[in-house]
Amino acid sequence: MRFVDYYHRLKSVLGLSFSLAKANFKLRNEGSYLGVLWYLLEPLLMFLIIILVRANITTESIENYPIYLLTGLIMFNFFRGATVLSASIMRNNSEFVKSMNIPKESLVVSNVLQSIFSHIFEIMVLFIFLVFFGNSIKGLFLYPIIFVFFVFFVLGISFILSIIGVYINDISNVWNIITRLLWFATPIFYVLTTKTKIFFINLFNPMFYFITGARDFIISASFPENFVIFGILGFSFFSFVLGFLIFEKYKNKIAEEL
Amino acid sequence: MEDKKPSIVVKNISKKFSIGFKRNDSFLAKILCFSFGDEIKKELWALKNVSFDVNAGENLGIIGRNGSGKSTLLRVIAGVFPANEGEVETNGKLIYLTGFGQGLKPKLTMRENIYLIGSIMGLSQKDIKKRFNEIIEFSGLKNFLDVKVYKFSSGMIARLNFSIGIHCLKHSNPDILLFDEVFHSGGDIYFKKKIIEKMEEFLKGGTTVILVSHDLETIKKYCDKVLWLERGEVIKYGEPNEIVEAYEISV
Repeated sequence: MRFVDYYHRLKSVLGLSFSLAKANFKLRNEGSYLGVLWYLLEPLLMFLIIILVRANITTESIENYPIYLLTGLIMFNFFRGATVLSASIMRNNSEFVKSMNIPKESLVVSNVLQSIFSHIFEIMVLFIFLVFFGNSIKGLFLYPIIFVFFVFFVLGISFILSIIGVYINDISNVWNIITRLLWFATPIFYVLTTKTKIFFINLFNPMFYFITGARDFIISASFPENFVIFGILGFSFFSFVLGFLIFEKYKNKIAEEL
Repeated sequence: MEDKKPSIVVKNISKKFSIGFKRNDSFLAKILCFSFGDEIKKELWALKNVSFDVNAGENLGIIGRNGSGKSTLLRVIAGVFPANEGEVETNGKLIYLTGFGQGLKPKLTMRENIYLIGSIMGLSQKDIKKRFNEIIEFSGLKNFLDVKVYKFSSGMIARLNFSIGIHCLKHSNPDILLFDEVFHSGGDIYFKKKIIEKMEEFLKGGTTVILVSHDLETIKKYCDKVLWLERGEVIKYGEPNEIVEAYEISV
């Protein structure tokens, strides 16, 4: 009856993750739902700046550029938010980890859940934009398909970072720099033309596949190209499995290293 | 007692900590260490070859100086730390409770903290709701329900911490309880009296309890057996009166 055991464990991990995410969400918003505005502010401000700067330096027009840009921004925001938090999660909750034998996966999962909560608000903004610019909202309903794989990808990275964070205390600074570089490497505010150098580099960039896939869905409600689909499946599977295995291996050592 | 099946069996437990002299935890330091050899680490055996067993329903007291490995032993039994050598076998649901605060979040209100800690201790939201009034009643902090915890005095924090802990315990109805210094959580004598009353339910009931405490009177009163630890080794194990006496003489 191993399957039943796994089911119970998963249930308890998810239950705990939800309560933790709820509590932390409140904590971050200082108990008021107006606090949600704060993390909508960052992507929206970024959006505004890029639109303004772009209008001044180029006249080249991209179809549905606002939607193209916003999709990229909020997806990358979700990735960065969840992973940066995960890098310091074990240290921030060391009192729980040291004094109770709680399933430690929940700390990481709750972190990602929390980012999903705020991502939902960003998606609402995207929805408003789609309506405002007269796009079809059909594609947005397909988005969850990609988002599920994206969450698994982010979970895997978060698991790995949470373990590294136990041993290296300034990993969140290092990770901050890495994500910033990745942000520029990923076609978020520019468009990649195939067969360029930067396009080949991006074939190794997981974010490229997720964001491209999501854009195909949202903007044109069409299925992404095959290599994008393979990239999405491959990276999410690989990241999740690797993260999970590393976490399983090191999770018993977390308490004494803190 | 009719059921004599041991509920905790500890067999030759040893626990090693390696302590770095300079804690180089930063990214650059790790890279440098990697290329210029590792930092010097000292091994410290916090527990050496500790064995004992506790029968179901019995209470075991653990005494010893600071740093003798008492808390480490409880954490190994609770499964927070893995042991380097030896085995621990526990039968039944186990809960580990420490008096030093289990992570109340200072920026949350008392109400939110109750829900947070409750869920970490494995209660569902519905169960916490049921216990909610009891917890507030017991802590005597009814008027501060929506005050953020960082405004609490240390005594109030101790009260809240214990109230949440003990009521969540009661709900989950554990077979084994590990108490780490719960009496010295900083409450006043009135609250301490309340704590002991509450704990008696477990100490005199059918729950197996391991009690780490510096309060030798309490140990003598409630424990069936006492374990005396010194630098990670068992000095004596046996009848409470005899061992507490020997311990007092050694001090």
